[in-house]
Amino acid sequence: MTSLSKLALVAAASLSLLSGTAIAQDKVFKIWHFEAADSSNGITFNKALEEFKSAHPDVKVEFELKTFQQLQASGSMILNSDQAPDVLEYNKGNATAGLVASQGLLLPLDDYYKSEGWDKILNEGDLVLSKYDDRGIYGSGHIYGISVYGEYVSAFYNIDMFDKAGLKPPTTIDEWVADMEAFKKQGITPLALGAVDTSGQHLLASLAYTKADDTWIQNYQGLKAPLDGAPYLYAAQTLVDWVNKGYISKDSTGMKDPDAALLFTSGKAPMYVSGTWNLGSFSSTIKDFKWGQFVIPTPKYSVGSTGNLWVVPKGSKNPDLAAQWISLTLSPKYQTELANNGGIAIAADPATITNPVGKNAIAVFNQIADKNGLGFYPDWPVPGYYDVLNQKDTGLFQGTLTPEQFVEQIKKVYDDVQSSQ
Amino acid sequence: MAVAEGAHSRSRRGYYFYLVPGVIGFTLIVLIPQIANFVLSFTAWKGVGTPRWVGFQNYQKLLTDDQFWGSMIHTLMFIVSMTIIPVAIGVVLASLLFDYVRDQFGERVSNLFRAGFYLPQILPITTAGVLWGWILSPVGVANIVFKAIGLDGLAQNWIGDATWALPSVSLMIVWIQVGYCLVVFMAGLSRIDPSLYEAAQLDGAGWWQRLLSITIPMLAPEIFVVVLTTLIAALKLFAPVFVLTAAGPDNATMVPSYLTYYHFFTTQRVGYGAAIAVVQMILTVTLAIIFLRFQARQQATE
Repeated sequence: MTSLSKLALVAAASLSLLSGTAIAQDKVFKIWHFEAADSSNGITFNKALEEFKSAHPDVKVEFELKTFQQLQASGSMILNSDQAPDVLEYNKGNATAGLVASQGLLLPLDDYYKSEGWDKILNEGDLVLSKYDDRGIYGSGHIYGISVYGEYVSAFYNIDMFDKAGLKPPTTIDEWVADMEAFKKQGITPLALGAVDTSGQHLLASLAYTKADDTWIQNYQGLKAPLDGAPYLYAAQTLVDWVNKGYISKDSTGMKDPDAALLFTSGKAPMYVSGTWNLGSFSSTIKDFKWGQFVIPTPKYSVGSTGNLWVVPKGSKNPDLAAQWISLTLSPKYQTELANNGGIAIAADPATITNPVGKNAIAVFNQIADKNGLGFYPDWPVPGYYDVLNQKDTGLFQGTLTPEQFVEQIKKVYDDVQSSQ
Repeated sequence: MAVAEGAHSRSRRGYYFYLVPGVIGFTLIVLIPQIANFVLSFTAWKGVGTPRWVGFQNYQKLLTDDQFWGSMIHTLMFIVSMTIIPVAIGVVLASLLFDYVRDQFGERVSNLFRAGFYLPQILPITTAGVLWGWILSPVGVANIVFKAIGLDGLAQNWIGDATWALPSVSLMIVWIQVGYCLVVFMAGLSRIDPSLYEAAQLDGAGWWQRLLSITIPMLAPEIFVVVLTTLIAALKLFAPVFVLTAAGPDNATMVPSYLTYYHFFTTQRVGYGAAIAVVQMILTVTLAIIFLRFQARQQATE
């Protein structure tokens, strides 16, 4: 026997081993999501998963926990491979769900929308980010994903600290500044911020949206015109002013969101601007004081949107089961469960909600959504804008960029993409 | 049959057979991705769908990209913290441990120190990043210590201030790299004939003199290897920046590998990211070739 034929034999043997395992498999249904186990979504999805498993004893349900970053970075490559699951939670927006939908990697869900009765649960407003056209732009086209929750950015505040200082949650920017000045005078830095992470750009955008009208938001999110930098200039000037006055620590450029959140949850900082995805963990970790949220005072638009999407990859072997899974998470039982864990259920019956945190958050969300005030997130229009805003934010906070330079630099990136689309 | 052939050539042919796994691995893991990357650098591609040919457009854009040139300048600074400082510290420490600590305190103490200095090399970089993050955060250990001993002026926003971010990442890198240099140099020192030192000592040479005129020249082969490997590592530096500063604040610690990663995975300009990677690879290979040539010439003259 020659050496070469020996090698061929070994190779053949190892190949047959591999294929042997494939034959032995049952019907496997793969679900992915990226919600932490202690978050309201995570608790709800995991409970629904148990029910789903017992309702389908013949199916081997395989669940994998991913991270938001993982799918943000390599989701499109996963969907383009044979490793894709049967149903997964996917990041909403043009740069993510829109991109893969436009490349034909997702299954259109229009038929299921009717047959599963989702049309009776969701309204048109809930579907804006579910539809993508053939260029991957949201708002029209086939339905490619279903969101079962909402989210928005607001200010969390320490009710005990506010009471002690004799202050009320603000309803205008001026009142907000007055509150911060009062805390500053007592030697407290009022606003905890992790400028390295999302909360820097969410505060920035919240302030920019106070100067934004319908046209600005539509142009901005739809890449319809070169960036009109005026709202951002106002936001940048305000932030620099706040840093100089000591409302925000200059050290925030060295802090990530968890560090900043810790300043709030440990009772050191009276306010922290971030998203409703904190509700679950704040509910379980804050024991020493009463806390609440106030919406950052804007005329119409708030930073927020319907949540991330359940999508079904084109290569899903069990699309019917995937649709049943989505139906389960949309069902009254799990919508109420979500709300009672402090989440913003998209279609829960308010009468069934017992958790005050979830009840309040849903009321606020509906208030914003009813006036069509969901302004979405500032990083959506341009792929990679999330990092650009984080980098330039830190430049602004540490004083190496003036507000004018800041706007000029983020405008350049925006306009490059806008003009070359 | 094989009887007709000489035993020599037959055994030679047998050896080639052992190259097969290596060649397959090299082709799959290095060669094919390199070629794919090179081709991609001439296209515009979003990561899915069909790449579109754009010729030299990506390279043209590189020439005027401040982010790219900034990252190249930072690389020069990281060569200092990746190569120059660790090699210098490594030589001095190795020779201290080898002929002072070992003589005075014994083999065990010397080994303990060597293991201690090598520890950061074994520690996963993500763990090291979290640890240094705790030390260097504005409310971290470093600032707490400075304030506790009354040196409030020394407390800085280490990783959040453009002035300090690069030195802070550099400090962590030096901490990681010293162990590698030290271990290689200590192995090299055991190769040097002790009689050289004895003779020098009899002639009245002090410790520093012996270091400069015996240790360093005799360690030249080891120093060459260490400088070359760390230089290459510096050119493709990624993990310490990724875990500690994410290239911030305002790109103050951006490096080419991070920029490639950024364009590959977030801006969906895969072709542009590929172009950066190609430039980076050409630089690294060129530098390695120059260095190996130089070393070969040095050895030939000896």
